Amino acid sequence: MERKNEEEETETGKSELDASQIEYVSYGGEHHLPLVMSLVDQELSEPYSIFTYRYFVYLWPQLSFLAFHNGKCVGTVVCKMGQHRNTFRGYIAMLVVIKPYRGKGIATELVTRSIKVMMESGCEEVTLEAEVTNKGALALYGRLGFIRAKRLFRYYLNGVDAFRLKLLFPCPELYPSLPMIANKDESHSHNDHIPHEECCELHHHL
Amino acid sequence: MADDAAAEVFVPERTSIPSGDDSVWADVSPLLESACKDLRDGELIHGDNFNLFAAMSALEIMDPKMDSGIVCKYYSIDEAIENGAAPVPISINKTVDVQCTIDIMDHLLACEATWHKGHSLAQTVFSCIYLLRPDRTSSHALLHSYCRVIRATCKAVISVVSDARTHEEDDLFTMAYGLPLDGDGDEKCLSLLNAVEETISRQLRACKAPSSRRRVLEDMEPLQTNLDLEEGYCKALLCRLRFRKHFYHVLTSMRRPQGRGLELARKHIATCISELDCIYRSSDFLRSSACGTSEDGIENRTTASGCQPIGFDASLNCRLSAPTPPRAIKILSWKKAIEYFVKLLHDLDIICSYSLDPSLEGVLQFVVQFQKSQPDLVARAHLQLLLVQDGKLYGRDSMFTVITRAAVLPEVAKNHDVQKNEYFVQLGQLVINMLKILCTNAAWQRRKLGKMLQDWRVIYVQLEIAFRKEFGEVSSIPEDENFCVKIFQHILLWVEEQTYWIASRFLILGFELELYSPSEYCMVYWYIYVVLIKLSEKTHLKMAAKNDTGKRKGKKKRDSPKDVAREYRIPPAVLFLQCQICLAEGLTMMLAALRNEHMILQSRNPFNTEQERFIQHFELLQKACIPDHVSFHSFRESTTYARLSTLVMYNYFKDAQRIAKEAKSSFSNDPDKLAELRKIEQVAEHNSIALNVISRVGALDPTLKASFEFSHHPYFATAVVKRS
Repeated sequence: MERKNEEEETETGKSELDASQIEYVSYGGEHHLPLVMSLVDQELSEPYSIFTYRYFVYLWPQLSFLAFHNGKCVGTVVCKMGQHRNTFRGYIAMLVVIKPYRGKGIATELVTRSIKVMMESGCEEVTLEAEVTNKGALALYGRLGFIRAKRLFRYYLNGVDAFRLKLLFPCPELYPSLPMIANKDESHSHNDHIPHEECCELHHHL
Repeated sequence: MADDAAAEVFVPERTSIPSGDDSVWADVSPLLESACKDLRDGELIHGDNFNLFAAMSALEIMDPKMDSGIVCKYYSIDEAIENGAAPVPISINKTVDVQCTIDIMDHLLACEATWHKGHSLAQTVFSCIYLLRPDRTSSHALLHSYCRVIRATCKAVISVVSDARTHEEDDLFTMAYGLPLDGDGDEKCLSLLNAVEETISRQLRACKAPSSRRRVLEDMEPLQTNLDLEEGYCKALLCRLRFRKHFYHVLTSMRRPQGRGLELARKHIATCISELDCIYRSSDFLRSSACGTSEDGIENRTTASGCQPIGFDASLNCRLSAPTPPRAIKILSWKKAIEYFVKLLHDLDIICSYSLDPSLEGVLQFVVQFQKSQPDLVARAHLQLLLVQDGKLYGRDSMFTVITRAAVLPEVAKNHDVQKNEYFVQLGQLVINMLKILCTNAAWQRRKLGKMLQDWRVIYVQLEIAFRKEFGEVSSIPEDENFCVKIFQHILLWVEEQTYWIASRFLILGFELELYSPSEYCMVYWYIYVVLIKLSEKTHLKMAAKNDTGKRKGKKKRDSPKDVAREYRIPPAVLFLQCQICLAEGLTMMLAALRNEHMILQSRNPFNTEQERFIQHFELLQKACIPDHVSFHSFRESTTYARLSTLVMYNYFKDAQRIAKEAKSSFSNDPDKLAELRKIEQVAEHNSIALNVISRVGALDPTLKASFEFSHHPYFATAVVKRS
């Protein structure tokens, strides 16, 4: 339903910002709501009513995160989880990092935090939709292990197709040693070292 | 909250709406007013069923992005008309009137193309105020005839698409609630159109006639007042009217049963294309004679003249009728619209020139080939309606007949009573569903084919059980004596073959839809390889069974050594599959070897492994046991030990090349298959060379990197070796 023009950004010339200067905060209540809303509104032409935001952040506050730099909110992720047919699945609804802060691993960190909570909460898989033209988002989710499960024909009103992306968690009994569980910290720093294009994207049509 | 408020408020009974047996009407305004006092900004009263969909459907009133009401210029069609938004005549100056009419025609064409491309009818074609009030135009014969044929055409197109039900997730397409699709007398649209065309032809003849003859025609009033422009305007109008007429004929003749109107449709298609060319060429004249149009942005204009058309307001319907999202849509440019119609007509022409091949294999090949050019919805809907009519192929052959033919049974089998068996009836339905699905867009098609695999598997199992129940152990029955046994055996084999064909189509479509990332190519080619092996095995068995029948029949008459020799030849259809098998296997092993020798980057994912991605990609195939006993572990086993050094020794690509070359001689009459074989040869040749280069230089030069691209074939990748 919604699209964003993605600009590929590289790490070049942006090294002045230290990853440690970014502070990640779990959604903390109504005072965070205007921050989340303005960030999403700013990046997307199509607005959501306040009820849409509340739907997510009231029911799953633990799945929403905000990224701050010197007190300024520069990125956010909003998610949900629940029973879908026979599986318990997580869903990434909105992910935004404002332009000057893209390419620094912020989106990866935000979304990784949400996915971890989903995994710990017993989700079997995580899904989302991304526009086929949103190279940045597709690369980011690809690195996290998402596959393109389906293509959704003219999913967005502007006529652009979407991919449904899916991340399947390993079955614990089949797979006792997970890279993620085995060494959480390593995987974090690992992500930060990969130069990548951050993206902001609202995955709509829920 | 609402309950508390209700307790305090007296709800007076309203007398204006009479109460029914079970209902009493009450005015809730006081209740709401009092409830509002309790509510703070941003709060709402909701029931338990307030879900995400409800939250997202909520509108913030007066926000122009959400509230379509405030974007509207007019509150009603009448108000728009009163304000002069759609005057009739458009101008009292006849020249201006003609100019404006042409602009309306052009913009309508652009709207129509935009509609076909997936936007709502209400926001495109029916943004035309003239169309919304069918009677108002009756005094303006030219505009009236055009509006009528547009409404009739829209109706015909909606009927094709809704009958075919290929509109997939695009249900916007057929939504026409509240739109006046049935203008009074629209069904006679062609007679009025012909009359108007006749008048303008005479006006054109009159203005072209030498002055001596002009007197004879003097009673003929010219189209407009500027005689220098008369010829140009007459011509511009004529091609537009004729296009509409022939396009309407195309749509109606293609709908004739059993493909009887296809030949006629082709003639109309040819005329349509040439009229479109005239329309296109009229733009120089129209631009030069229109005043006040600048050349900037002419590419984006929706009319040939470049002028804004009169009488359109897309926001009117947002308020008044069929579902229209608040957001304004972009109408295709006039040039793009013409391109769209040319493509549509070419696609329809391909359908009309189809020979109505009686063999299912031929049908499938045709549909797959047709889909390669990515035809749009309207063309695909026509194809589907042609293929399946009244539950029969082309409305002619029953599905059982089609199946027995596909299963290479003798012609007499088609009348056998066994067709009444419920599983054969179900199988017929599956074939119909498959044909319909193959006519849908690639994204939808892949999903439906994936789900359908399960049905094919189930029907196979059911048929097999029914067969065993009826005949017990196969070996105990002398085959020749029981024709029914033969029917079962052949059809069972064919069902398996068809299932693997669907599976291969499912896998291959993933490339077209860009569902596979390069790190997944290895497992995808491996799966294609195992499916194609099974497919070729079943095809081979089917051919052998056919030869068996043929042999037995011919035995008495001729038993020449030539016949015996032919038996031992691998059938061309199998060779065709074999070269693809070699290519898929070669790619699997090459990708695996590159990975095993660390020549392509393998990133580790934090949350899962290759196994999960394998499970996800092939879930539907695995669920349907296609093929049996195939799992992630068998994939790992066959690829873990792949090494470049062994691959060079046993080069699958060379086999692919050799077999493709051999197969080509059998397909000299089939240009599509020949082209495919040529592409396979090219990919095989390139990959064979790449493999040699990597194995020779790779060990010495660590900067050498291999990547894969689809430069020679849409789904068999070509390796590209570069120094990084």
